[in-house]
Amino acid sequence: MKQKNLLFALIVIASLLLSACAAPAAPAAQSGADAAAPAGGETFVGTPRNETLILDNLGGSLERPDFFNPYAPGVDMGRGYHEVCLDNLWEIDTTTGEQFPALAAEMPKALNADYTSFEIKLRPGIYWDDGVEFTADDVVYTLQLGLTNDKLPIHGWSIDYLKDVKATDKYTVIVDTTRSQPRFSKDLGATIWDATRFWPVPKHVWEKEDPTTFAGFPPVCLGQYKYSKHDPNGNWTLWQLRDDWQQTSVGMINKKPGPKYLLWNFVGTEEKRILAMINNDVDILQDITPESMQVLTNKSKVVRAWHAGFPYADFDDPCERGISFNNSQFPYDQWQTRWALALATDIKKASLGTFAGMLRVSPLAVPPVAAVQNTYHKPLVERLTAMQLSDGYKPFDPNFAKDMAAIFKEQGIGAELPTTEAELVDLFGVGWWKYDVAEAASLLESIGFTRDANGKWLLPDGTPWKIAINAPVDFEVQSGRLAFAVADSWTKFGIDATVNTMTGGSFWDAESTGEFQAGSYWPGCAIGPDIYPNVSNWHQKYIVPTGTPAPGNRNRHKSDEIARIMDELEKVTSDDPKNVELSKDLLMQMALEMTWIPMFGTSKFVPVNETYFTNYPTADNYYEGPWWWWSNFKFIVSHIEPKK
Amino acid sequence: MHVIRFLATRIMVYLLVVWIGVTIIFFVPRFVPGNPVDAMLGKMMSQGTAMDPKLVETMRQTLTELFGLEGTLWEQYSAFLQRVLLTRDFGPSLSYYPTPVSMLIAKALPWSLGLMLTALAISWTLGNFIGLLAGYHNNSGISKAIETTAMIVYPIPYYILALVLVILFAYIWPIFPFVFQVSGTPGTWQWMVSVAYNSFLPLMSIVIVSLGWWIISMKAMAIDTKEEDFVQYARYRGASDNKVMVGYVARTAILPQVTVLALSIGGVFGGSLITEILFGYPGMGSLIYKAILGSDYNLMVGSISISIVAVATATLVLDLIYPLIDPRIRYD
Repeated sequence: MKQKNLLFALIVIASLLLSACAAPAAPAAQSGADAAAPAGGETFVGTPRNETLILDNLGGSLERPDFFNPYAPGVDMGRGYHEVCLDNLWEIDTTTGEQFPALAAEMPKALNADYTSFEIKLRPGIYWDDGVEFTADDVVYTLQLGLTNDKLPIHGWSIDYLKDVKATDKYTVIVDTTRSQPRFSKDLGATIWDATRFWPVPKHVWEKEDPTTFAGFPPVCLGQYKYSKHDPNGNWTLWQLRDDWQQTSVGMINKKPGPKYLLWNFVGTEEKRILAMINNDVDILQDITPESMQVLTNKSKVVRAWHAGFPYADFDDPCERGISFNNSQFPYDQWQTRWALALATDIKKASLGTFAGMLRVSPLAVPPVAAVQNTYHKPLVERLTAMQLSDGYKPFDPNFAKDMAAIFKEQGIGAELPTTEAELVDLFGVGWWKYDVAEAASLLESIGFTRDANGKWLLPDGTPWKIAINAPVDFEVQSGRLAFAVADSWTKFGIDATVNTMTGGSFWDAESTGEFQAGSYWPGCAIGPDIYPNVSNWHQKYIVPTGTPAPGNRNRHKSDEIARIMDELEKVTSDDPKNVELSKDLLMQMALEMTWIPMFGTSKFVPVNETYFTNYPTADNYYEGPWWWWSNFKFIVSHIEPKK
Repeated sequence: MHVIRFLATRIMVYLLVVWIGVTIIFFVPRFVPGNPVDAMLGKMMSQGTAMDPKLVETMRQTLTELFGLEGTLWEQYSAFLQRVLLTRDFGPSLSYYPTPVSMLIAKALPWSLGLMLTALAISWTLGNFIGLLAGYHNNSGISKAIETTAMIVYPIPYYILALVLVILFAYIWPIFPFVFQVSGTPGTWQWMVSVAYNSFLPLMSIVIVSLGWWIISMKAMAIDTKEEDFVQYARYRGASDNKVMVGYVARTAILPQVTVLALSIGGVFGGSLITEILFGYPGMGSLIYKAILGSDYNLMVGSISISIVAVATATLVLDLIYPLIDPRIRYD
């Protein structure tokens, strides 16, 4: 009797668990991407489902969903706020990495030869969503906010950068700077993700408020969507297409967006986000893992990634991942140590261990996004191949792409890959450093490292060499996994390598103060040929002692040669031909000195659901990158169309 | 006099415990690597935007001043004590500046209390009732089935159980909402129904997981208590089975459960982090979690202090009322 009761209980529990693994009832319109959109249906916020583009809000639920002050510390710029409400003087075209005029009618005109005075011409006819025209007064007011309010975080930069700001007519602003600023538009306009210092705010609203505490609610928008409503618990925000959408920069440059409503919604954990997408309750997901991508492709015929098949992800995210060191502390202040660690890394295994090989490799200090790879990585292959360390060793291996293709062929997914070598290089990168543990050992021994009887490395003072690699624990999964993959390589080499998983505050603090040995950070970002704004912070003038927060050069890398090249680069404009040539010299010098170990570009799995909307940017339909969380999303959404 | 001395001592200990707890939570985050300024700057830089080092440095200085992080630790602590004691103000949240910490807590706390107290009431009542029946009739087949079920369910990791509930009742059979979405004006009937509907799955997940423990523990105590001499004597005196079970066994076996209940009530003020994350439920758990992630000192101190005060208060109240529940307890 006892056994029967127990058996009964076990059967009930098992049934429950097994039904959890059952295939779900197929949601509507599961027959394929070409099927017509299902009619009718409302979202949970009461808008027609086939008129509402639902985006995943990766930032999570908001504690202050009613706070829209872009100059206050801690404001959440996501949930549609900077994507479709704010706007920029100059926006970024992520296919080329070049800026284009948005709120401005043209790129800024330098009024003198030393780049300390600029004229900004605005587009006439742009209106805030409350019906007031956007004019030079708004630009002047916003720039002066930083100058006159010492409690705004932007204040210090404003008084250091701006000398004078004035409007000469309704659509013309003259800005005088304190120093030569040949990259003026990059300082005030959008580059990667958005601008960092300047978003025009409506003078007619803000001049009555204290800008340090003003909540800016409801937000008054320049973009083609206006605020509609939000969840008081911070899970969602709804935006509606403006009736006067033509009176916006996007409206003047592009066409009417397809979605009438945009709903940023926080669904929850990754499992729930995937289930929501399979259920067609989400149209766009931000940044999922490769395993989740696999589930989506298996379970849904209407979901696709950047690439329709393997490798699915977009490899053009403008930051690259690798391993950083505190280059001011022994033994990482020795180039031999850093090179040895690079040569002791099995980069193919690291790629497979991180993201199943769905990564593009990079030997240079800037990411291998298409525009940058075509300008730097590919043209520099010859110099990389010829590059020698001081012992005559040539470390570069150009065969990474071919080797990875061979591995995938063995795994049975070779058919989905390009066939020509050039296409493979475009996809997987130009090459990386050789996996050569003998040379790595030789370099270490040349500076006094030894091995014990078990083959474990000892520092020159005879103590065991231990490396702890900092890694983010609950964000940026690629960097987290990379740390473990690299630690595995180094352990096989004979180093006692471990991984410290850390939450955001500790992770960033360690990098800033230099209180770390190695870290899976990403100090190499760039989006286009003008890489100087992103690499300038490597200058040795920014080095501060370990323990002090660093404003730049967090790796504390000291190099007179790198500083010399940077000082020259600072003086040239973005479009000067010397810019690219000097940048090439800089990148080669940074590679030779192994300022950090760059490894891979960032792969983003950013799936879209084609049940209700179509014409998303994809590898086959490449009008923009799939950066749904950037400010240029307002230009992407103007291409997205409802499914007929 | 004796009672007054007892009360005064207990209250002084209570105040001391709260003060020590709040002091610890003030200092400990400041000794851990990471600070709210660098957390904020790091998050900005992780976007990949080109941050001019001059901009980074000036922002760091401004934010440090704005967040009141200048001065020595003792100076900061002294300013904090003055603010809290004189104005009961934990200051602005650093992650959500300039929003006051009290405003964020006031928004999150009712949700946590509503969910956790309801779950506690249901699981405690139901669990002890089932445990009492199972323990009093411990030789029956049903009693053994109940115990077996409780022992199977109890060790299941909460996250797995909660996820199974979501998959079953929000995805395969979409009876409940996938995401926590409350509609209606707060206070209206429509709003209350919406809250109940949206809270059902998170509530059930907590009840199921905690029910097992109450059943198992009450059953064990009921089995022990029913063999006591005074219970046997009650039977010999002709008391009915129900009267023996309720009036004698339950009344004695419930005493430790009351202790645990009181301590659990204090614990509800900390919310339930995994529940809130998985179900998208607003509450203290995720507020504290966000405070830790952002190294938001003020929010950490404010939200965890609520828990400290709640647990200390629950312990104090329990100490004071226990002699009323159990006549055997007397304080010297």
